[in-house]
Amino acid sequence: MLIDHPKSRPHLSVIAPLYNEEDNVDPLYEALTTALDPTGMDYEMVLVDDGSKDSTLAKAIQIAQNDPRVKVVKFRRNCGQTAAMAAGIEYASGDVLVTMDGDLQNDPLDIPMFLQTIDAGYDIVVGWRFQRQDKLITRKIPSKIANWLIAKVTKVPIKDNGCSLKAYRASVIKQIPLYSEMHRFIPAMASIAAPRIAEVKARHHARRFGKSKYGLSRIYKVLLDMLVIKTLASFASSPLLWFGMLAIPLLLAGTTLLSYVFLHALLVGAPISLPIAGCGVIFLTSAFMMVCSGALGELVYNLGDMRDHEFARLTQTLRMRPAHVETQAQ
Amino acid sequence: MSERNLNRISVIIPVGRRHEALRELYDEYRAGLDAVRMPYEFVFVMDGPYRDAMAEVGALIDESQPGMTQAGMAQPNVQMVVLNRSFGESTAIMAGFERASGDIIMTLPAYHQIIAEDIPKLIAPLETKDLAQGWRWPRKGGSLERVRRSIFHGLVGRFTGMRLHDLGCGARAMKRAVLQELSLYGDQHRLLPVLANRQGFSVVEVEMRQSDRDAFKGMYKPREYAHFVLDVFTVFFLVRFTKKPLRFFGMLGASMFGIGALLVLWMVVERLAFNTSLSDRPALLLSALVVVLGLQLFALGLLAELIIFTHARHIKDYQGAEIIQYPRAELPRKAREARAEKTAAL
Repeated sequence: MLIDHPKSRPHLSVIAPLYNEEDNVDPLYEALTTALDPTGMDYEMVLVDDGSKDSTLAKAIQIAQNDPRVKVVKFRRNCGQTAAMAAGIEYASGDVLVTMDGDLQNDPLDIPMFLQTIDAGYDIVVGWRFQRQDKLITRKIPSKIANWLIAKVTKVPIKDNGCSLKAYRASVIKQIPLYSEMHRFIPAMASIAAPRIAEVKARHHARRFGKSKYGLSRIYKVLLDMLVIKTLASFASSPLLWFGMLAIPLLLAGTTLLSYVFLHALLVGAPISLPIAGCGVIFLTSAFMMVCSGALGELVYNLGDMRDHEFARLTQTLRMRPAHVETQAQ
Repeated sequence: MSERNLNRISVIIPVGRRHEALRELYDEYRAGLDAVRMPYEFVFVMDGPYRDAMAEVGALIDESQPGMTQAGMAQPNVQMVVLNRSFGESTAIMAGFERASGDIIMTLPAYHQIIAEDIPKLIAPLETKDLAQGWRWPRKGGSLERVRRSIFHGLVGRFTGMRLHDLGCGARAMKRAVLQELSLYGDQHRLLPVLANRQGFSVVEVEMRQSDRDAFKGMYKPREYAHFVLDVFTVFFLVRFTKKPLRFFGMLGASMFGIGALLVLWMVVERLAFNTSLSDRPALLLSALVVVLGLQLFALGLLAELIIFTHARHIKDYQGAEIIQYPRAELPRKAREARAEKTAAL
């Protein structure tokens, strides 16, 4: 086994996560080479084996032995598609990264078109399966609803978040944190860095071999993840403000209840109602705790490495005096 | 690293409050290790300044010669690490690991727990597995103790899907990579197989005969029971919680909030329909508490998400990924032709 850096940096890295796809590995390689070889560009393939239990890894290694452009990333156990994507992105060395499904639902022939869109100045290009080959009730309709919701909430208007065929400028995507099941929201997640996102039509094929690994049960998770991303994307840099906003209704409720009880007692002379006064105190305490949580959040943010200036660095454009002018002056 | 390279053993013995005559133990362990026919070394870690044990190990070091020696020959290398206060067994193991040079790391208890002749049984599975955990069997001890054990391991099994039998056994053997990736602290040594399995290492349990002197001395103290409960909690949180805290806290918080909202609704209905005065209903307090608790739990979940988000670059889901590439392989013919065409065109 050799771990070595290739001498030249390839322009394009194609990343494909594989989990129990023994029947798809060879066709995938075939399809990719058929699509990309004629373009004559310099590319590499990153095949991530997500702890498959069948012969996927062996087949991938066999391909790598016969082609120096193929990198196989091997996981010890199944870590999930997001982790596989994240690992692929980390170990890819190209300037442009293309991710795709390992099961040939995406068509590698679309890749050159994606690259052109990147070259046109976009940071992220998202595929849209405009003629989706899936079951209507269990796949297409839930996905429509989910995409509509994701677009509404995250304000990143993408019609098809579930399409794995995406192209990224490496410098942008390598800065985006990917964990849990975030791979469906990479564009939303990346929106923290305010990249230029384009959506292009991509061909979609029905699965030829193997089984799909997703079901309806993921909707609840998707919705919660989305909520998290929305919150994090908009408020990660100012937790005190955000928790403070949560505290306001509590503060209002608490003060209203307490002033009602005391004014009632003062003006009418009625006895102070213990339950109502107690409620007021509870709400006020909770408001106080919220603000404390916010302060804790500030601390966490300050110690972390997701600070705004890191993202700012990604999006800024540099203009400075060319270096050779100075050397000439000397 | 090929399996054949696994040929040096470092034995780490964390010496805590419970320890017996170390020289006798050392001789027994050595007899067991000699049967493995691999060179080995000992690292004793004093988890606190135990004068008697330090003197004993000091004498062993004086007799020993530096360097790994072949099985059955002379004295093996013995080292001692002394921690100035008691940090707990996990930290002691990690301190010993820093000194250990073997490819196989073995931990053995500082008292008679297992019969040392069974040590080769613990090393053998490492040909194919990453960690072998000792399992004292047949086991001594009363029925109450047996019930406690089966509840504990049953819960651990429920959360992790791993059926383990004796997490309390201090005899384990593992490949070096296991401890390199896990950094143990607190009470985690007992959960080592669970943690290793979560990192994708293969784990196997090995039956070992229990020493006659590993007598169960009556009842456990309440504090020890608390430890078992905490262990179960740790496992639960590790499995259910680490990467998606809001799912856990959000669920809990939302259900609390829901219950509280229902209570409030019920009281509002009663107030409006039956004119029951709110001012002398203690249930009002309860509902406010539950609603607020729900909100706070949700806020905690968000805070936890924020922690993970801002530290995501250090928390990788895929530790120990291995890259396989053959940069010197020959380019396939099709690609060569395409490239040649391209250069010809230029």
